[in-house]
This record gives sequence, C-alpha cells and structure tokens, in this order.
Amino acid sequence: MALVLLLLAVLLSLAVGNKAIPLEGVWLALTDPAGSYTDTVVASRIPRTILGVLAGAALAVSGVVMQGLTRNPLGDPGLLGVNVGAAAAIVTAVAFFGVGSAATSVWIALPGAFAAVVVVYALGTGPRGASPVRLVLAGAVVSAVIAAYIQAIALSRPDVFDSYRYWVIGSLAGRDPGTAGEVAPFIVVGLLVSIAIAPALNTLALGDDTATALGANTARTRILGAVATTLLCAASTAAVGPIGFVGLAVPHIVRGITGADHRWLIAYSAVLGPVLLLVADVVGRVLLSPQELMVGVVTAFIGAPILLIAVRRMRGSA
Amino acid sequence: MSRRQGPAARPARRPAARPVLRLGEAVSLPIDRRALTVGMLVVVAILLAGFLTLTLGSLGIAPAQLLPALFSDPGGTEGFVLSRLRGPRLTVAIATGAALGVSGALFQTVTRNPLGSPDVIGLGVGASAGAATVGLLYPGVLPVPAGALIGAAVAIVLVWLGTGRGFSSPARFIIVGIGVSAMGSAYTQFVIARAGREQALVLSAYLNGTLASRGWDDAVLIWGALAALVPIALLLGRRLHLIEMGDEMADALGARSGRTRIASIAVAVCLSAAAVSVAGPIAFVALTAPQIAKRLGRSPGTGILLSALTGALILVAADLLVQQSLMGVQLPVGILTAVVGGVYLGYLLIRESRKGTL
Repeated sequence: MALVLLLLAVLLSLAVGNKAIPLEGVWLALTDPAGSYTDTVVASRIPRTILGVLAGAALAVSGVVMQGLTRNPLGDPGLLGVNVGAAAAIVTAVAFFGVGSAATSVWIALPGAFAAVVVVYALGTGPRGASPVRLVLAGAVVSAVIAAYIQAIALSRPDVFDSYRYWVIGSLAGRDPGTAGEVAPFIVVGLLVSIAIAPALNTLALGDDTATALGANTARTRILGAVATTLLCAASTAAVGPIGFVGLAVPHIVRGITGADHRWLIAYSAVLGPVLLLVADVVGRVLLSPQELMVGVVTAFIGAPILLIAVRRMRGSA
Repeated sequence: MSRRQGPAARPARRPAARPVLRLGEAVSLPIDRRALTVGMLVVVAILLAGFLTLTLGSLGIAPAQLLPALFSDPGGTEGFVLSRLRGPRLTVAIATGAALGVSGALFQTVTRNPLGSPDVIGLGVGASAGAATVGLLYPGVLPVPAGALIGAAVAIVLVWLGTGRGFSSPARFIIVGIGVSAMGSAYTQFVIARAGREQALVLSAYLNGTLASRGWDDAVLIWGALAALVPIALLLGRRLHLIEMGDEMADALGARSGRTRIASIAVAVCLSAAAVSVAGPIAFVALTAPQIAKRLGRSPGTGILLSALTGALILVAADLLVQQSLMGVQLPVGILTAVVGGVYLGYLLIRESRKGTL
C-alpha cells in the first residue's frame, strides 16, 4: 500500500512540471526510451526525484529516531535545529574555503549537525531532564541564530551564493546530477543503523529505568541513535538544504497506521517520507507555474499544522 | 519620549514612599526614583547613539555642523543626508524600537513569562505575512499597515486556537507560536516567490526586518501609532501589575483580569503590526527590551516606559552597528538582532530552567 503510494509519487514527480507529461508517457519514456523530447524532459526530472526519495527517507527516519531517543513527540531535525546546523557548516565552508562538491559537503555538514545536536540538548535539558517543550524552544533559538548567520553570509557574498539561493531554503531543484550518488552512501548507512537500533528504541520507550532493568544498554542506543540522526540530517541537508517538518509529520502519520513499534515506524517512514517530500515538491512546481516554490516552504506549510495537532494531543504540564 | 514630570507631577496626597504623578482621577503613576535616573541615562544613550548615527561614516555630518544643520536647512550633501537618508532612518528606528519594547512588555506581563514575547509566538512573522500579501500580491487594495494588522491578528488567533487552553499555559503557547511562525514565514516566502520581484531591499524587509531607506511617511506612521497606543498601555499598566499576582487576586482587587488581558493583547498586537509595517519583523527586540528594562529599573513588574526607551536604544544601537559595519554590504538590522537576541534567549532558557518555571 505504502509502496504503491511511493511509486505514484515518483511517477507524479516525473510527470508534473512546466511541461506536463501524461503518466503513460512517463512509463513509456522509462521503459522504452526512444530519444524523443518527452524522454529528455523525464530524464531531466530523474535526478531531483531520486534526491527527493533519498532526502525524504533520511528526514523521516531521523525524525522517528529523534522522537524515540528523547521520548519526545516533537522531535524533528528541522525543528531541533540540526538541519540548519549542518547548513551553517556548509555555508561557512563554501564562503571561506570555496568547497563545491556534495560529498565533501557531507563531511563538513557532519560536525555542524553534531554541534547543533549537542547545543540544543545542552540548552534543552533542565534539572528534571529534557522536556519536549524545552527542546523545541532550544531548537527554535538555535535555528534563529544560525539562520541569521546563514543569511548574513549569503547576503554579504552574493557572488558565491547565487547558485545556493534556493538551497538555503530547501529545494530539490538545481543540484548537480551527481549529488544523489554522493550523499547516498551516508544515507544508507544512517538508515541501516536506525533499523539496527529499532528494537532497542522499543525498549527505551518504556523509560530509562525499565529499559536498564530489562538489560538494555541505553547509553549505546543513545550514541548509535545520535550517530544515525547526525548522518541522515547532514547528508540530506548537504543534498537538498535545511528542510523542516518532514521528520515531524511523517512519524506522526505513520504512528496512526502502525502503532508505536519502532521497527514498523522506521520501515513505513522510510517509504512515506519520500512520498511527502515528492508531493510537496510537485505542489511547489504547480502552485507558481512557470516558477517554482522551494520544497522547504511547502513542507513548512504542510507540517506546521501537524505540530499544532501534536501539541494539542500532549497531556500533562506541556 | 514623553516623560511627564516636573511641573505636572504633584506630590502624593498621602505620605508615600515614592512621589506619584497624577492627572485627574484616571492617571496615577508612581514615580520610581531609580527608574527615573535609569530612564534619563537611557535617553542620554539614545541621543549619543543618534549623534553617532548622524556623524559617522563617509556621508556623516561633521559634529560641529550638526546642531546648526538640525535647526536650519543646510542644503547640499548634509541636507540630503539629514532629510532623506539618516534623519528619517534614525527617527523610524527610535519609534520602532519603542513600539517593540512596549509590545513585548505587555505580552510578557500577560503571559507571565519572558518567553511569551511577540517574536517567539509568531506575531511579527504573521504581521509580515499580512504586509507582504497586501504590499506584493494585491497592491492598492488595502494600506500595508492594515495588512500587517490583519496578519498579526490572524497569527494571534491561530496561536490562541492552537493551544486549546487560551493563554494560560506558556509552554503550549510557545510551541504553537513556533509552528505559527514557521507557517507565517513559509507563506511570506510563497508570496515573495509569487510576486517574483527582484527588489532585494523590499524582500529582505519582509523577511528579516530592515531600516534601510525609510522615509518620513514611515516615521509619521510609527510615531502616530506610538502616540495613540502608549497612553493606553500606560493606563493598562497598573492593572497588569495586579494581574501578575494571579487572576483571582487581581479580580478581587477589581482589575478585571480577562478584560485587561484582552485589551493589553490588542494594544500589543497593534504596536507590533505598526512596527512590522515600517521595518519588517525585527527579531527579539520585543523579547529583550522588557527584560533588560526590568533589570535596569529593578522594579517589580514590567515598566512600560522604560521598556520603550530600552527598545529604542537597542534598535538605534543595532542599526548604527549595521550601518557602520565593515562587512562591505549593509545587512538588514533584523539579522543582527536575531543573533544577539537569540543568544540572550538561550541564556533566558537556561535561567528559567534553573528556576523551574518552564
């Protein structure tokens, strides 16, 4: 069912745009390319579709892992400032050291994302542990400061950042065709680590004390989880820019389908994350045709109401 | 800034620790000596920053010629700088900072939380979205300030509906505000992409907040809003003091907590909208100004006038830094306030957690 949705989203992403192509045309171009104009158009949309699949899966799964690790329904790499942290590192490297390719920028993004995680947790952890509200607020603070820094650099070096103008907001368009291949290894490793710790996340959901009593190594789970989210966020940011709310929205929707088992959560999120991102990208292409709206803008508009719903569902002090 | 004192201040009727300013039955402002001194110092600092704004840089007016230039039209380069470039910009900066300071003070008092500020809960971003809609998508249908007001009102209603508990739960309030902010700025991006104009200055004003190329009509708008709304804020101030003690107590003392709260929020929303429509969403001035004012004045509760002065000082100083920065380009002032104010917000976050209020 979810896979069918993904296939549909992929086909839509290949079909819709300035030059709309009927779905059977897309199918024909994929299965039996004859070198026609249609084939060229479809081929030109393949890189961004692959990017969308990779980044969507990475963002959604990192959201699941974050929410699981912190037992916090509001975990999201965009909301908690991890993506902007990665973006800031890349922007700094591009502005001052002239770094270009996506593979190098993943390596640069990794420490940025990791630093953002550390700062947000340090700010967000109070005497009684990290509460969801404090974490989100810390994420908002860190994001605001870092986003201002990115803006400052981008505005003062317009020559360097002309090609990054859309990336800074989060966009699937205008990246080198090789980008997907360069970030894919990082995302695959991140996904594999996430799948490996899924059972441990289930144990962790019972609470630290219970999990320890059951013999789980909570420290190891946390470290592996942090590694996985950092990898996923850094790679997706290097590829498509800082995109928020996919990691929040998808796990919340999936939880309604599968329940709270992290193994299913991760599997479904890895499939539905790309669906959300591709559909958002298609919407962005249609809405302002012939121009395009950055996909990060669309996901924020779709995802923010889900934040409101998630908050209303939270019980207790928050 | 209107600091009413001197001849207007009559001694209190009964012996009190501090002198009280009374205007008929409606107004009675206790005058805190410390607040008065601090206020004077802040005014001096604003004047100093303003002086530097007008005199520094390649287009600066020579300090010796500044006073004559202020009182008689000097013409030439100096006249142009004073009447077109830096004069209106400085005037707008002072009033915008003051409006943000008062708006923040009202909000923080109503939510009883320093984090419940217009910038944190998406008011500025909402106003900016409204202003962008009216200014870029449908130019001419409504004046831009009206659009900003509608945008701010929509944002606050969304936040109120989103919490499901009104304004009583600061934590929810803030998170919903973050969500509404995200939607607001996404919408603004959409409008800008749709309008597709390459007017970098206008666009960055809607996104970051800038004071560059403000004219006298902006100055008239924002000073007018201050003149109309600050007196109301001052009238509400005393009841707000009572509300800080808790709703039941305030009601028992006749402060009508519900009505006062709504009136204060309305005034704060209008001030925010006015500030946004002249300068865009300048981040975190409304958050920091009342907090700094509170520490400077060491008064219980939030001093509205002192917050206004502090806000004005922050914005004038920030704009001065941006204008004279060595980065080659003039950045929007909102970027600087976002960095500095964001760091301060992080500090507040740590402190509030130690106190366990969040």
